[in-house]
Amino acid sequence: MSGAREPIVELSGLAFGHPGDASGRNVLEGLDLSLKRGGFTAIVGPSGVGKSTLLRVVAGLVAARRGEVRLLARPAPDRRTAALVFQDARLMPWRRVLGNVEFGLEGLALDAAARRRRAEAALALVGLADAAGRWPGQLSGGQRQRVGIARALAVSADLLLMDEPFSALDAITRQALQDELLRIWRETGTTILFVTHDLDEATYLAERVVLLAGSPARIARDVAIRTPHPRARNGLDGYVSDLRRALGETFIGGAGI
Amino acid sequence: MRPVTPRRPALLSAAGLAVFLGAWEAAVRGGVLPANFVPAPSAIPQALIGEIRNGNWFTAIGESLGHYLIGVGLGSLLGIVTGAAVALLPRFAAAQAWVARLLRPIPPLAWIPFTLIWFGPSQAAAAFIIGVGVFWLNYFATWSAVEAVDEGLVELAAAFGQGGFARRLVKVILPAALPGMLSGVRSGLGQGWMAVVAAELFGIPGIGQRMNEAAGVLATNVLVLYMLTIALLYGMTDLAFERVTRRFLAWTRA
Repeated sequence: MSGAREPIVELSGLAFGHPGDASGRNVLEGLDLSLKRGGFTAIVGPSGVGKSTLLRVVAGLVAARRGEVRLLARPAPDRRTAALVFQDARLMPWRRVLGNVEFGLEGLALDAAARRRRAEAALALVGLADAAGRWPGQLSGGQRQRVGIARALAVSADLLLMDEPFSALDAITRQALQDELLRIWRETGTTILFVTHDLDEATYLAERVVLLAGSPARIARDVAIRTPHPRARNGLDGYVSDLRRALGETFIGGAGI
Repeated sequence: MRPVTPRRPALLSAAGLAVFLGAWEAAVRGGVLPANFVPAPSAIPQALIGEIRNGNWFTAIGESLGHYLIGVGLGSLLGIVTGAAVALLPRFAAAQAWVARLLRPIPPLAWIPFTLIWFGPSQAAAAFIIGVGVFWLNYFATWSAVEAVDEGLVELAAAFGQGGFARRLVKVILPAALPGMLSGVRSGLGQGWMAVVAAELFGIPGIGQRMNEAAGVLATNVLVLYMLTIALLYGMTDLAFERVTRRFLAWTRA
């Protein structure tokens, strides 16, 4: 990793509206955002504001109406520039755990042995080395989500895009996976863009929290969380209440922001 | 309320069958059922020996099996391909919608006169009649199975660089739709045997024709023998299919 922390993705003047929406109304408007390599950024905002949509635009799954997404990572045949982790784990029930992790690698220039090696390494990283031969239907919700994370880690993406990955889990599992994600982030040095509606989660995990609000959504707040890791879960109240206030203002201010 | 499970269900089932056969035998021997029209179960082994000795049994089975395999094979294949195309290609779906609506309600057996005109009493005619019914079963089963594929998995494939049509089809759609497609094929296996007999009753050589001949001379035990033969063949094809496809569907039991 370069110490200079050069940017890895830059959004400029980004606007997005659903292609099927005849009104031509935008969901996202005028977004400028630059993410530094190796950083952990959380996107927060009320549900339905367009957080997940933003991730899909960055991932290239949907096209922006205006503006651009520049991924500054060097493309390579054996890795992906960006990898997505979904809220619902999204495993293929007909593939065993190892096969699910290998799925992402099948689009890359790798032979079967290399795929297997990398999938096994990714499973070990999320603590599921022993579950390689199991079916997704035999896993708990937390385990399934770990497999989804391993699938994204296996492709050695420069940018890990995570769409509320822990929101469907019980509180204990969620906290365990949050700590595990911090460990993985430290060990791999990957850049993480993490969408959540949970301000506590965002301030616990991220170095930077970006608040999306309004309709169309814009960046309403961009806060650096300076508390070093490991953080106390209840030691971030200042940041949380600041964000909560900002969130409240955006509602009172309506679409005007 | 939970029904009480008997401790030895197989034993009870065997007893039930024995009672059924015993009552049947007694009814024929006691004159309750006319012996001219209903054979006693004890007369059926004798029919089997006779039909094996004169070579008719294996010949009839071979001919029917030939009709069946060609008809079920082609009907399933075309039904799966067309059903998948309807689910995947909106233009094709629209183009064929009214044609399907027109042809679908025609019972497969209503095609018998035409197939006899077109193909004569041949293997092709039997296979066609069998194939028509099997086609529609697979068409609808595959259509709904493909349409029910989780959109999220399609997005997943795109997110990992495998969103092209061919990769999406092979890696997401077909495996996800496989259980539904196979249950369509399995229904077709049953429907196919029904059509075999019906087609052959119209003079195409095979089990149905042999039944017709037996009925003509009131050889009712031979008639029952072939009815049981069809049941046996259906049971065996269904079991074989279940065994062969079992390993592809292991994940559905996880």
